[in-house]
Amino acid sequence: MTKTSSAKKGATTLLLIAFLMGTAAAFMALKGATDRVAREKLPGSSIIYIPSGKFLKYATFGYRAVAADAIYLWAIQYYSTPTIDDRFDHLDHIFAIINELDPRYQDPYEVGALIAVEEARNPAAAFSILDRGATNNPDQWVYPFNAGHVALMTLKDYPLAEKYFDQCMKIPGAPEFVERLRANAIFKKGDLQTSWETWLDIYKKAPDERTKKIASNHLYNVKATIDAAAVEDAAAKYRERFGRLPADLETLRRTGFLREVPKDMDGEDYLYDPATGTVKTVTSPWRR
Amino acid sequence: MKIGAIAGITFKEAKRDRVLYLLFFFAALGIGGARALAILTVGDRVKIIKDVGLASISLFGVLMAILIGTGLVYKEIDKKTIFTLLSKPLHRAEFILGKFLGLVLTLFVMTLFMSLIFLAIVYAHTLKVEGALLVAVGYIFLELVLVTAVAILFSSFSTPILSSLFALAFYLIGHLSWGLELILKKMAPGTGKSLVRFLYTVLPDLENFNFRTEVVHGLPIPPGIYLSSFLYGVCYTAFILGLAVLVFRRRDFI
Repeated sequence: MTKTSSAKKGATTLLLIAFLMGTAAAFMALKGATDRVAREKLPGSSIIYIPSGKFLKYATFGYRAVAADAIYLWAIQYYSTPTIDDRFDHLDHIFAIINELDPRYQDPYEVGALIAVEEARNPAAAFSILDRGATNNPDQWVYPFNAGHVALMTLKDYPLAEKYFDQCMKIPGAPEFVERLRANAIFKKGDLQTSWETWLDIYKKAPDERTKKIASNHLYNVKATIDAAAVEDAAAKYRERFGRLPADLETLRRTGFLREVPKDMDGEDYLYDPATGTVKTVTSPWRR
Repeated sequence: MKIGAIAGITFKEAKRDRVLYLLFFFAALGIGGARALAILTVGDRVKIIKDVGLASISLFGVLMAILIGTGLVYKEIDKKTIFTLLSKPLHRAEFILGKFLGLVLTLFVMTLFMSLIFLAIVYAHTLKVEGALLVAVGYIFLELVLVTAVAILFSSFSTPILSSLFALAFYLIGHLSWGLELILKKMAPGTGKSLVRFLYTVLPDLENFNFRTEVVHGLPIPPGIYLSSFLYGVCYTAFILGLAVLVFRRRDFI
């Protein structure tokens, strides 16, 4: 090869490298420029075409568990990206896919329900995910327990909470405190008679002193609530007849509105407020 | 002139490739089959036809670019016809560009035919020619041009099977690289973040050519993105072709 052709080849190579650097710089700058243009999106358009898990599981060629892992990992990133405003639109659908691909994979049920309640503020989606967990894993008490907790604490739907705790208690291995949560749900539902009976049952079957004490406190609270309702009802009737509230509880007994002046479970008198006609216990049920 | 001659020969060669017609057949089947899928839906049938039709044009176009593109240069080397060609006063860059343009022309014709079938099916349902669909098809074609350049780059130094796998990986990376943006937002500043940012900038972003959702749903497309996406495609293609020329120039055939 002559010196001239070698030099020419070297110059062409340099020119080519300069061309490559120029085009690389150009496409990098253009990528930034294109990214800066805000494109309109359809709500949930990034995931709207994800098919149902029933169909997807045939497309995974036996790698169903890995596919479930991959979608779960992606879902965690997706749902923790606040810039995607409409990310919760298909929450139940996404977790249904993961559940369908790997029904025994426990984390997605719990995390999916948590995201539904805490982030999406969508308890219905949480119930749907947890119900699926309970159906696919009938030996796991944690799903009806979590659903009961959501119903009790978030939704304040006490009959629903009672139903879930009842379902949970029937699963072997469920912790004994679930029965106490169920009793509490019954109390909050307003069924004081059943609540009393349930707490009494817990008290009688209590395996230790601590549980006995807890049950005792609740029994104290249930009785105080029943008594307070009776007193307030009597005080209201008294006001209807005399146009004013009674000065004390003894007046209610004397005038026949109460058969006897109620006492709390410890034998102490209730504190009566003549201005409002209401009673309360001397000590808090939880500090006895 | 020499580039034109090589392109013409490449076009004629590609025309004779049975793979091209097989893929075209399946593309036509996909576009036509969209009508059958639409029957299964409840609601907007035309949307399904448009979605599946555009996806078929894109998918089979990419397969054409990869399966034909990856064999173009390799075949010349394998059959030793490269010796005859390079013994003529022909620069290797001209050879690469000729091959590239020949395949681009082939893909243009194929895309045109696929689009005609697609538009005819849409017309049969809506009784109007939807010009907006051509925007999506145009950018699909730009994507095919880039994938063709990539197929030729790999074909210039590797076997067709490996080149196909590399080009397919390029295509998949191109459609998934947007995920790096999400990772970037969650990363703490440091070397790792700089590395991911570099990857995000350098790796192809084929979503820049994807206007299918906007077109099908009739969403407005910001005017600025047409030009920047087009120029991005042109520059990236030029870069890949430059790289292919650089690699091909250094190859020793003896």
